[in-house]
Amino acid sequence: MPFNKKWAFTSLLLIMSLILAACGDATNTSAPAGANTVASGAATTAAAGGTATTAAAAGGPKVELTMSIWAGVDEAKEFQAILDKVNASATNYHVTVQASPQEYMTKLQTGLASGTAADIFWVDVDNLSGLADKGSLLDLTDMIKNDKTHPAAKLDDYFQGALDAGTYKSKMYGLPWISQPLVLYVNLDMFKAAGVNPPTNDWTWDDFLKAAQKLTVDGSGKTAADSGFDSKTIKQWGFTSNSADWPPTQMFIWQAGGKTISDDFKTSPIDSPEAVKAEQWYADLVNKYHVTPTATQVKDQGFDTMFTNGKVAMFVGGAADSLETREGMKGQAQAFLVPKGPAGNRLTQAYIAFNAVNSKSKNPQAAYNALADLTDAIQKWKVPVPRKSLSTKEAIQKAQPKRPAASIDTIIAALPDAKAAPIYPGYSQWADIWNTQFIDPLFRGKDTAESLAKKVRPQLEATLPK
Amino acid sequence: MVGDPIGDYLPTFIRFLILAVVVCGASMGVHYVLRNILHLKRDVALGFSLITPWILGFLIFNLIPMVSTVVLSFTDYNLQQAPNFVGIQNYQTLIGTDANFWPSIRLTVLYSVISVPISVTLSVLLALVLSKNLRGIGVYRVLYYLPSIVPAVAVVLLWRWIFNPDVGLLNTLISPILNVTNTAPPDWFGDESFVLPAFIIMSLWTALGNNTVIMLGSRKGVATDLYEAASIDGANTWTKFLRITIPMMTPAIFFLVVVEFASAMQLFTPAAFARATPAAGRFMNLLIYTYGFQQSRMGYATALAVILFLLILAATIVLFRSQARWVYYEGQER
Repeated sequence: MPFNKKWAFTSLLLIMSLILAACGDATNTSAPAGANTVASGAATTAAAGGTATTAAAAGGPKVELTMSIWAGVDEAKEFQAILDKVNASATNYHVTVQASPQEYMTKLQTGLASGTAADIFWVDVDNLSGLADKGSLLDLTDMIKNDKTHPAAKLDDYFQGALDAGTYKSKMYGLPWISQPLVLYVNLDMFKAAGVNPPTNDWTWDDFLKAAQKLTVDGSGKTAADSGFDSKTIKQWGFTSNSADWPPTQMFIWQAGGKTISDDFKTSPIDSPEAVKAEQWYADLVNKYHVTPTATQVKDQGFDTMFTNGKVAMFVGGAADSLETREGMKGQAQAFLVPKGPAGNRLTQAYIAFNAVNSKSKNPQAAYNALADLTDAIQKWKVPVPRKSLSTKEAIQKAQPKRPAASIDTIIAALPDAKAAPIYPGYSQWADIWNTQFIDPLFRGKDTAESLAKKVRPQLEATLPK
Repeated sequence: MVGDPIGDYLPTFIRFLILAVVVCGASMGVHYVLRNILHLKRDVALGFSLITPWILGFLIFNLIPMVSTVVLSFTDYNLQQAPNFVGIQNYQTLIGTDANFWPSIRLTVLYSVISVPISVTLSVLLALVLSKNLRGIGVYRVLYYLPSIVPAVAVVLLWRWIFNPDVGLLNTLISPILNVTNTAPPDWFGDESFVLPAFIIMSLWTALGNNTVIMLGSRKGVATDLYEAASIDGANTWTKFLRITIPMMTPAIFFLVVVEFASAMQLFTPAAFARATPAAGRFMNLLIYTYGFQQSRMGYATALAVILFLLILAATIVLFRSQARWVYYEGQER
């Protein structure tokens, strides 16, 4: 039928043209980051402190950049305010941010795999080397070296440990904006009510345990230090652990002189006498002395919420968590140094986070400029920042004006003892075995630390780099 | 971010339109080829051209991912870099040395083998009750179906509360028994020996609604003249139930068992949100997610996915083979 033929021919033509159009569209839309431009005249060019970069002359188009962060609702609002200022003063780029507090790394990794990840993103010390190893991060070494304008790019102002954590195979992949030690948050009112003296800088594990026992109270008012204490009716706890490795067991192992992964990443000596001592001591807090709520209680009532509700007297948290000023905090709280372990040190696990650039970013130079501007701005917002010039009492007080001065003294005193965890590209696999095969049974009292450690060590070592 | 609604969504809308036109074009193209080049019948050409969109969808979203899953299971693939062929190494590591593998298989298979028969039996019984023409029966039918429309995550959160060892509903209900026998209240998701029962109880509550609706439909579909004929022959209620109701419902029961078993083996949402102790093992789909997305070992995860697929396939084949023994199709010679 001629009618049919005509129709079919038209339809074929249509398909061809549409396929071509779709291809054309693909090239167009895959580059909206670069193609969507905004007239820069609209934005003010208040280049504060030389933050304006020279790549695009004034009057040129603005590059659209995207950024991913893991901030929750409140934190994201604060970040947006900072970003608005940075965007307003930027002459050659405009950044839009997307916050994903849930499953951040999963989203980031799938985004990177499918080529839809943001140009700039937050990445923490646990994941940086893994992403760098896979080629997902832009090597920033030369850009930082050539950058003479940004304070955040002056590497000699940083603490070396934080820079090292952002370096993989001698190349820099991220600028750190926080490196926080862990501190011991203490509810002073609960201490007072129990007649326990607040922690001192000489506190040992034993002092800590004794205080925790006196602060753990059962239904009849007996404390964990009394005879006849009923561990089934506890109403108030001296300390808390989520039994899922927070506070990190690693920190206690360091304090006892042990290691979870050797410096050369060849062994996982979690069954050394020092490590076992720490593991068992920590598990005993939960199962033998009952000074912490159970894992289920923590899951159902909220981990830090139990501290701010006045149900738990001591909480190990990041220095920046500022639980003292948290809304709903019952009683007066203050940050103290964590107690000293048997090896005489009070090392804590530093939490370090970085700004990094997607290696597939269409505009690496603009992305770097935005990253440097943003790092400068975030470093004035977050504490503690691993920069010498910003780790002063004045700088921290300025960033967190509501916090008690005594807590800020603690944070500064805790900085030298903060240590980055040993991380390598396959670390998540190590951590999964550590959490499911070792920590979980240990904290449910299924076996002793010594016997578990012997059993799990070979499994952990099988995941170490060959 | 407050953006420009038209500017933000227009490109997506245009792409959507283009896709629709491309799919239409493809249908017409197929019609042209079949009719004018291969000279097939008009009906055939029209039929194929109409199912072309579905075939395209199947190819792009089902067949290609399925085949690539099998291919990826023989590689070392971390999502960012090109996959490396490693032969059967993933399977060897999984079956030989992975401490999570056997507990995961055990938990998943036990869960499916126990929960599906209970769930199907209960839904048959419930359907028999709900098929009676009682006063206000509609209300009961709605009540039993309600759990099925609650979002899975909300269900899990609800059950986390019911299973709470200290203040949960279930332990409060059974506390008299616990006191008499002087046993500690079970920590449902925290103690590995209670994880499996907890998941089975939770699954019954959610699956019952859907299954009962299917069973109810099947029960209502049994022709009344069969019962009339049986009555004339002097059959009592019990005989009618055993010889008429159950046999006539077997095709629907068979369908439910096959579908429910496959979905039980692939349990994910409750497993991911219940936060049960990993000591009882992790459901296979959760383990696949952990390996693939949390540890970026996609090759290894796909090997586990292939094993899961083979398990479900084997179970389905066994069920289909068993069909001749117990499933009765109307009009079929026995």
